[in-house]
Amino acid sequence: MTLLEAIILTVITASTPLLIAAIGELVVERAGVLNLGVEGMMIIGAAAGIATAITTGSSALGVAAAVLAGMLLALLFAALVLGLAANQVASGLALAILGLGLSGVIGAPFVGVQREGIGRIEVPLLADLPFLGPILFAQDPFVYASFLLVVGVWWFLARTRAGLVLRACGENHAAAHALGHPVLRIRLLAILFGGACAGLAGAYMSLVYTPFWTSGMTGGRGWIALAIVVFASWLPWRAAAGAYLFGGLTILQLHAQGAGVPIPSQFMSALPYLLTVVVLVLIMRARRGGAAGPACLGIPFVPDR
Amino acid sequence: MQITRRQALAGTAAAGAAALGGRPAGAQAPLHVGFILIGPVGDFGWSTMHDQGRRRMLEVLGNRVTATQVESVAPPDFDRVATQLVRAGARLIFTTSFSYFAPTQRIAPQHPNVMWENATGTATGPNLAIYNARFYEGRYVQGVIAARKSRSKQIGYVASFPVPEVIHAINTVMRGAWSVDPQMRIRVVWVNAWFNPAREADAARALIDQGCDVICQHTDSPAPLQLAEQRGAFGFGQASDMTRFAPRAHLTSSINNWGDYYAERARLMLEGNWRPADTWGGLASGMFRLAPFTNMTPEEVSEASRIRDALAAGTLHPFDGPIFRQDGTQVIAAGQRLTDDQIRSMNYFYQGIDVAMP
Repeated sequence: MTLLEAIILTVITASTPLLIAAIGELVVERAGVLNLGVEGMMIIGAAAGIATAITTGSSALGVAAAVLAGMLLALLFAALVLGLAANQVASGLALAILGLGLSGVIGAPFVGVQREGIGRIEVPLLADLPFLGPILFAQDPFVYASFLLVVGVWWFLARTRAGLVLRACGENHAAAHALGHPVLRIRLLAILFGGACAGLAGAYMSLVYTPFWTSGMTGGRGWIALAIVVFASWLPWRAAAGAYLFGGLTILQLHAQGAGVPIPSQFMSALPYLLTVVVLVLIMRARRGGAAGPACLGIPFVPDR
Repeated sequence: MQITRRQALAGTAAAGAAALGGRPAGAQAPLHVGFILIGPVGDFGWSTMHDQGRRRMLEVLGNRVTATQVESVAPPDFDRVATQLVRAGARLIFTTSFSYFAPTQRIAPQHPNVMWENATGTATGPNLAIYNARFYEGRYVQGVIAARKSRSKQIGYVASFPVPEVIHAINTVMRGAWSVDPQMRIRVVWVNAWFNPAREADAARALIDQGCDVICQHTDSPAPLQLAEQRGAFGFGQASDMTRFAPRAHLTSSINNWGDYYAERARLMLEGNWRPADTWGGLASGMFRLAPFTNMTPEEVSEASRIRDALAAGTLHPFDGPIFRQDGTQVIAAGQRLTDDQIRSMNYFYQGIDVAMP
């Protein structure tokens, strides 16, 4: 394996949790709900995933538990912001803190337990392709899942009627309601999807990336996923590009250091965020000050008859 | 008693009320010892070992002491947590990270009746003691082993922050490696964290991709070692015995042991004999030791043991001259030895290390 292949391989694995979580949050935000609790749902997924995998000995059950845990936390968030029309920013932040604390409790008995990570699956024939083979077709199942998620969400949002309705809820919930669409139910499903994705991303952290439990192990990736959604201007393909850019810069930064390239590592670490700001400015300019995100993002909706 | 920061905050009110109630005159109330940890107790490394030190202290002194421990305290929260420990009645407080050194120095004069002890700090005060272990002795042994094990002649170093403790460790690893093979090279990646498993793993991955086949780590999680295992490279455990994380990659671990020191300092407090001290214990002091060597040939084990014993006995000293900086200027000449203060303030790489200081 050449160094370039190795770097690309690492970038893909480093970007995958970001991509999965970002795609989930993207759908939530397109439905008009801002869930800042991605970090919380992600780490609860990581904790539930490894706890279940260790207890039952099955990685598949661990992944299922992670997804479920993420959805449960998302359900709590939905109860607050949809059921009680609570402030979404405050509820999301509370969710992030709750998730971090709760995950510590779930994970406590599993500190120090060693477990084999989920291995790679090679796609027959395709994996033998030169260069592309090892990068695209000899990955762990999560990477394939992330590819499918991007394509699936793009297709859903851009090509299906249900996707159109979901976007309508995000752009103008009053109009969608007037047309007879169940805004709250659609938003609930979107929030649950976001929770499932965040939980899956968490499972990736604790079952593949660093297969052991420590509290705070997601290390702020949930927040980066939020930044990616903005960076992507709420489009799935750009979210993929953003995730690989964020992941890529982190990895290249480490490689640059190892190779002795004299760029301050702090600058490289800050670069993705700097880029997000630049992209936001560009979007705003291109739209002449118009809204960049879904028009009803973050605004509670209370259906009145 | 083991509590988290949040619980500590909630519990303070009750404890404060208890303190106001007054204690029986003359009776030897148990000494309340506070511990402030930089990471989670479950980091398998630095903080875990301080937690074990606290347990050991409780075991040795029994009901003559009680302890309150607050884990994962970010430096900005330090003042608040420390003040609350004082209010809760702690009379001896161990602040167990270099990141707490400046804050401890600042807060100690405000509470002259409380004795403070900072791990890896660099200066004492009227009620401030410092303590550390000469981990560099273990680093020298790591360098020797790495030079024996490496085929590519490149050591990868997952470093935390460019502070003297880490810088002199990198220098010492290379000193040990060059004692075996002067051709040895090192690559360094700074992850700017003491504990961030995923980033530590990424750093190790980058180093291995660039051709390093022995990984040294100066961060607290087992992630770099675990990655070395996955990739068929070698690595060393940090702070605790990490053999179980990498049965095929683990060479040795440096195992911290603070318990006896904590028990001794608490005993001095109880007897009224506590003095601000500057303790820097090496292999001989038992403040740390090396885990059994694994994945090494009997010859390699006997060489490493010999060097370890020579360091412990003081017949081999990693900071003997001549020492040259990267740019070729001489720090000390042959026959001289760096003083402890010079080691503790080291901010340069040795000549032969072609890594830029960040």
